[in-house]
Amino acid sequence: MSAINLPLVLALLAAAGLMVWRRANTFTWLLFTWLSLWAFFKFGLTVPIPQSVVTIYVGIMTLAVVSYASSSRERLSETVQPIVRLIVEPRFRLLLAALLIGLPALAAYNVYADMSAPLEAPGFGREIHPAPPPEITVHDETVNMTTADNPYLHLHEDDPAAWEEHLESGRRVYYENCFWCHGDGMGGDGMFAHGLNPVPSNFNDVGTLPALQSSFVHWRIAKGGPGLPDGGTPWDSAMPAWEKFLTTEEMWDVNLFIYEFNDFEPRALGQH
Amino acid sequence: MTVRANHRFQAAALVAAGLLLALPAVAQVDLGTEEQRAAGKVVYDKYCGQCHGDTGDGNGYVTPRVQPKPRDFTTGKYKFRTTPNGMLPTDDDLRRIIEIGAPYTSMPGWPNLTAAEIQNVIYYIKSFSPDFENPDRYGEPIDIPRPLESTEESIARGRVVYEEQGCANCHGDQGRGDGNSAPTLVDDAGDHIKAADLTQRWTYRGGPTKEDIYRTFSTGLNGTPMPSYADSLEVEDRQHLVNYVYSLGEADDPNYGTLITAAWTEEAIDLQDTEALDTQFETAPMTRFPLVGQISEPGRNFYPSVTSIEAQAIYNRGEIAFRVRWHDLRADNSGKNSPYLEVPMWDEDNDIVASGDEGGDDGGFFGIEEEPADDAGFFGVEEVEPQDDSSFFGVETVDDSAGDFFGTGDDFFGTGDATSDGAEFSDAVALQFPASLAPEGQPELKPYFLFGDAQNPVDLWFVNLTHGVADTFRGRGSEAIEPTEADIVEAVTSYDQGEWTVTYKRRRASRAGVSFAEQQYTPIAFSVWDGFNRERGNKRSLSSWFYVYTEPSVQQTATIPMLRAALIVLAIELLIVFLVRRRASQGKAGEESASHGLAGTEAPAV
Ligand code: HEC
Ligand code: HEC
Ligand code: HEC
Repeated sequence: MSAINLPLVLALLAAAGLMVWRRANTFTWLLFTWLSLWAFFKFGLTVPIPQSVVTIYVGIMTLAVVSYASSSRERLSETVQPIVRLIVEPRFRLLLAALLIGLPALAAYNVYADMSAPLEAPGFGREIHPAPPPEITVHDETVNMTTADNPYLHLHEDDPAAWEEHLESGRRVYYENCFWCHGDGMGGDGMFAHGLNPVPSNFNDVGTLPALQSSFVHWRIAKGGPGLPDGGTPWDSAMPAWEKFLTTEEMWDVNLFIYEFNDFEPRALGQH
Repeated sequence: MTVRANHRFQAAALVAAGLLLALPAVAQVDLGTEEQRAAGKVVYDKYCGQCHGDTGDGNGYVTPRVQPKPRDFTTGKYKFRTTPNGMLPTDDDLRRIIEIGAPYTSMPGWPNLTAAEIQNVIYYIKSFSPDFENPDRYGEPIDIPRPLESTEESIARGRVVYEEQGCANCHGDQGRGDGNSAPTLVDDAGDHIKAADLTQRWTYRGGPTKEDIYRTFSTGLNGTPMPSYADSLEVEDRQHLVNYVYSLGEADDPNYGTLITAAWTEEAIDLQDTEALDTQFETAPMTRFPLVGQISEPGRNFYPSVTSIEAQAIYNRGEIAFRVRWHDLRADNSGKNSPYLEVPMWDEDNDIVASGDEGGDDGGFFGIEEEPADDAGFFGVEEVEPQDDSSFFGVETVDDSAGDFFGTGDDFFGTGDATSDGAEFSDAVALQFPASLAPEGQPELKPYFLFGDAQNPVDLWFVNLTHGVADTFRGRGSEAIEPTEADIVEAVTSYDQGEWTVTYKRRRASRAGVSFAEQQYTPIAFSVWDGFNRERGNKRSLSSWFYVYTEPSVQQTATIPMLRAALIVLAIELLIVFLVRRRASQGKAGEESASHGLAGTEAPAV
């Protein structure tokens, strides 16, 4: 509910009720429909949609309104009649003059607002989770992306003491290397995060780690930003290729630790 | 019992009662219950131990790689207190720092912990030091009066106090953290500590408000050289001082931007004509960009000195000029530096630890020894820098100060370094541009922001402030940086009151690199090296990619496009009115019997 600007919607509904009561004509109805849909897209949603999308919606609406109006001769004339009356009947002369001046003024204002909007650096979309390569080579070992799993995951059941050791090693690796970017609490808000674009991933987010297989996370840790395909804008990502700094074991340890710290589990093998 | 004695007794009781009434605010030794401390330990072990050490001794995993170091809770010494110098903090003081953290240090805020969790962790922290059991170590919080209005007189009086009290010795005349003794300051851990840059309020570790400032110099920051002025300054003078310190900074937050707008000028750009140049740059908007340590490639800089840079640009028919500014506690302009100086792995940490288990899988990938074999050997490793033309400086400095480095144990920033004439490495700065832009209409593939990559190289306009001239390099990654001479970049530099200013100029057109066309968005990135912090090569502050936009040379006024839009709409309107009216009058003339309205004219004859 909070995604919708309730007062606006209520006002529009009230206006519609008023028009039913006053038996508004077709022209008024069409004008009203168009205006209220426009107002809804522009101001009715609390999560603003980009101007380009609004433009598309408004275009579609306009088409719909026009084709409705011209769908039969009768409707067409009902729609056109008020306009024609406005133009020819002397008693509307003042209104006509106001429109003749008002519409160009509005157009001019629009141009002005467009031109004085502050400059912005161009922005680019990026794929956050692009498809990984089928296999990668880390420290001379081949890792198959579909079948590989964290080799220490099973220790949780099989050897709790060894599990704890790997977890502690992961903790060390994380705080010696990762927290500047991904943050002490792993919220993607480390002390360097404000200087990076894209920002470091937030591991508290349920949509990130739990949605990824641990082999995917291993790929991202080992190959970092430079290992991304072009869609992931590898040139902008500060994510280091950790194979330059860490052993394979350390990379799996930290992989284990970032899941465990957040009480998450990797997405199981074979799930897509 | 005599009446008098009775009186005396009553008086004594009254005094005692009065004391009791006054006391509770002071010495509330509240160490929490066993359960609370145990619950605090759980929070601490998960969120705090990796820095403050699992035993509270300040020796966590991150300790060698951050500055300032995490607080050692066994000492009972705290920086951010409302209590007098040398006293223990109140629970509220601790709560404040745990909730909001200390900006621009590794101490984060913990807004997600509940009030109970924070209280419990406070009890647990207190259990690390016996001081908290000693009522004598508790002091009453100071009064922080409401700030005075920042009038000109108040600020002027504050400036006088600032000079009289010697704040400038550490913080510098203009408050940029460049006082004479700034390079020599060390904290209790023996690490160099920067005197705060008072012009950048957002970096104050204890908070940016007037109340925070008042508290800071009234109670002092224990464990650092920042003294308490409670005894030497009257309350009112302290309030004026607050207004002066506050006036040194423009804003509470840095307002980081993403775009430089290069302003057009008709005039020639002459780097030697300082006055004219300053006037030209006054017309160009200034943007501040965040800088962070380079920690993605070997030679990492975990605790960079410089945290932001300001930049602006102007251009004329043939040339473009950039000006960058940043604060630095002293000008290091006698050492060496270059974008490709190798940084041994051990130099990433601020402790030389012999263990060095870092990256120990195959050891070879770094190419050179990762840790000093012995005192004499490790400078040797670095000095092997064939391409460096100024290495004799470095050698000299090293010869002078090598003894000092090791004389002070693991302290890199030993005072020996600071008082010697220059550091081994000089200050430096570089602008980075893509070597080429994607052709119009193609998706933009930028070079890797860390000195480029093999497919997409970058151009660096590098200024070593020892020489003050711009050298150009082509980067195809940190390991593949080569000098180029395709374009001539000029530069002038100056250091004034803690601020470096470097102005670059180049022809807009380039055959080998990027050309700056009008109304073009060109990616730009920055690197800054602080020689004092031993920054060189990859150990530097850097930015991600931002943009410079060359604004149109002819200032487009909105009038003509506005008129055009209005006229087009008006023309369409008039056309419709004309057509409809003609049709209507034709209809009337043609059909005398038309009585059923205008729409009838359009109805087909049956
Ligand atoms: C210099 C900053 C930096 C450091 C240090 C860093 N990262 Fe990253 N990391 C990033 C950024 C930025 C991203 C997001 C961009 C991307 O996907 O490449 C990222 C993304 C990731 C991802 C991908 C998450 C996803 O949703 O696909 C993983 C996993 C990751 N980091 C793990 C780590 C680990 C483990 C460490 C420490 C060993 C680490 N990072 C250290 C900056 C950093
Ligand atoms: C990533 C490292 C890191 C983590 C995690 C961390 N701290 Fe800190 N903490 C620091 C550093 C560094 C300082 C010193 C800041 C300074 O000197 O300006 C500090 C200082 C403090 C101080 C002392 C402030 C003073 O007045 O001197 C307290 C209290 C504190 N931390 C509590 C905590 C608690 C509680 C947690 C866990 C919830 C925590 N810290 C987690 C790094 C950390
Ligand atoms: C002996 C050197 C020295 C003198 C003298 C000195 N300071 Fe400082 N000051 C420091 C240092 C060092 C720090 C940084 C402490 C830190 O980062 O923890 C600092 C920090 C500060 C801060 C920022 C605190 C924060 O929250 O980060 C303020 C404000 C300040 N000083 C004001 C003053 C004023 C006003 C005076 C004069 C009345 C003064 N200082 C005198 C060394 C000094």
